[in-house]
Amino acid sequence: MSQDEYYRGILDRISDAFIGLFVYLISTIRKGWREKNRSRIAEWKLMFYALNRSPPGVIGLFLVTIFVFLGIFGPLIAPYKYNYFPIFENSKTYLSPPGEFFVLGADHFGRDLLSLLLQGARTSLVISIIVILLGVPAGIILGLIAGYFGGKIDELIMRITDMFLAFPPLILAIAFAAVLPDRISYLINTYPPLQQFLLWLFALERTEGGNLSRLLAVMIAMAVVWWPGYARITRGSTLTEREALYVESARAIGLPSSKIMLRHILPNIIGPILVYVTLDFGTVVLTEAGLSFLGLGATPPIADWGRIVYDGTQFFPNAWWLIIFPGFIVFLDVLGWNLLGDALRDVLDPKLRRSIEFKVKKVKKSKTKDMEIKEVEHE
Amino acid sequence: MAELKKFLVRRMLTFIPTIIGITLIVFAIAYLIPADPARAWAGGEKASQKAIELVKERYHLNEPWYDQYIFLITGLIKNEIIDPRTSNPVMDDVGKRFPVTFQLALFAYFFVLAIGIPLGLISALKRDTAIDTFVRIFALIGVSTPVFWLGYILIYIFFVNIRIINLAGVPPSPEIVITHVPVIDSLITGNFELFRQHVARFWLPGFVLGFMGAGVVARFVRNSFLEAISGDYIEFLKAKGVPKLRVYRHAMKNSLVPIITVLGLQFGVLLSGAPITETVFGLPGIGLYAVFSIGTLDFPAIVAVTLLFALVYVIANLIVDIFYAVIDPRVRY
Repeated sequence: MSQDEYYRGILDRISDAFIGLFVYLISTIRKGWREKNRSRIAEWKLMFYALNRSPPGVIGLFLVTIFVFLGIFGPLIAPYKYNYFPIFENSKTYLSPPGEFFVLGADHFGRDLLSLLLQGARTSLVISIIVILLGVPAGIILGLIAGYFGGKIDELIMRITDMFLAFPPLILAIAFAAVLPDRISYLINTYPPLQQFLLWLFALERTEGGNLSRLLAVMIAMAVVWWPGYARITRGSTLTEREALYVESARAIGLPSSKIMLRHILPNIIGPILVYVTLDFGTVVLTEAGLSFLGLGATPPIADWGRIVYDGTQFFPNAWWLIIFPGFIVFLDVLGWNLLGDALRDVLDPKLRRSIEFKVKKVKKSKTKDMEIKEVEHE
Repeated sequence: MAELKKFLVRRMLTFIPTIIGITLIVFAIAYLIPADPARAWAGGEKASQKAIELVKERYHLNEPWYDQYIFLITGLIKNEIIDPRTSNPVMDDVGKRFPVTFQLALFAYFFVLAIGIPLGLISALKRDTAIDTFVRIFALIGVSTPVFWLGYILIYIFFVNIRIINLAGVPPSPEIVITHVPVIDSLITGNFELFRQHVARFWLPGFVLGFMGAGVVARFVRNSFLEAISGDYIEFLKAKGVPKLRVYRHAMKNSLVPIITVLGLQFGVLLSGAPITETVFGLPGIGLYAVFSIGTLDFPAIVAVTLLFALVYVIANLIVDIFYAVIDPRVRY
């Protein structure tokens, strides 16, 4: 047995334990779920086995897990608060290089760069999740409707989609992010619960309430740019699925269209869409960093990776750490999502899963044989 | 041939609703989305009442939305919309800066092709080897690298340390204007000194902008070359005893057809990257102009830039579609 297989065995066991925990949690809530979905659970396990067999996928999953973890707990484990300005107490902290006062150096307010990066992980994670949550379902639903009903509805939805696809993505996002804050600040000021919720999400203090509209504007702008792609993909696969026999029979027994679309067609086309979502998580992180690098979105003292670079460019090349470190973090985050998405494309391919199922069984069988032989030898 | 003509006419006709759609979105961005456009145009919360009235008067903001829409579009076409910040017609400002962005995109395209196609071919020929894996990872790294980060790293290497590039201004355009793109003009008119200056100023920004797409194109070239080489006609050529290189040439021809699509898509990626690249390298193109206009809430400029980017993108896609139909007789819609 080679070293590789040994590590793979560990990974397989970790993923089995993870799925076991997940299944246990569900089955405590819904009795009998485990027995009913046995084949589904087996399929999940196989997906993880397939992922464990592609090193880039494992690296991607590792990076993504780290960044999600940092996104959730980053602001809590950061050594200093993002709105603590040491420069007022000690003027030497102004742009102090890495290692002098802080591990990764300080910005022009003397703030610890490490803390800013940890806080920025939350900003980036929340923005990307909200953009995906706003954009993807909207695109999927419109694509399903267009593909399923066809005819004039299809024509209308696709023409609107084409209108949005006619813009280079970042340019449209820039334009929306530039003009939206005006209207959104009205919305946020007149609706305090929303403001409270956003402040809690971004782990900010109440004093930043006024700057939220720019962050929200960036999110909405990106969601507006993101949905057309999903509408187009979903429509394409719905068109082929629509002719399938199971859809025909579902229609024959009189199921409502909404149910056919969401419960029958969607589960069959969700695979490729999931791959796109994973890849797009990275693209959203990258685009968000780009927008805030251009001065849109977060404003100081809110910590944001792109914004740190934007502020740091004034002091380039002397304060190189303000550009190199945040940029590297963005790079790692995006790379993680891209590696994971690239591996998922293979994992979601049923043919590959079957071949792995075969291999795993063979390994298990040979293991039991080995053990038998050993036992025989012992005797 | 008649069918090709029919396709071209139909493609041209679908072009018109797209343009109308673009103008509608652009209109919505400037006139409908701000809660109070006049206040926003006049400088946000601090704007004086007089300035707001002036803006309302000048940009017809008191009229119903369809009148405003017609005013905006005809104004942009006739070049009558005045930019409040510079007091020039806004299309003049944008038009003056467009060649810089276009030239940047050309350089980036050069790097996309010069890196992407050879890498893709090599990785297809050496399939499932270390080179193939390297190209795959290179493509992923390319799409994951923030443009600004790569830009500053390269500036640090080439400008701060080695000092072989300059970052100030743009070399002058040649006196004889033919294509309005300085680098091509200077080459045509034989002004090689100016050509060298332009290349020296633009090669690094072009590389940074093209870096993203090179890997993607390489992957695409690899896949489409592998698909082409598995065709029956390749088997036939081999059976006939055609030399290896000639066989590859046949496969190349067929595999380059789908690549044109991805090059069309890459154009959108390059245009998207333009604002960031121009900001990093201080190139006075329309991307940098847009970034400045956002800072000063200069709405007419934002509108004009967005419209221009969309038009360029749509026209690029149209050209790709037509090209595709003309060179590949199998494609008919």
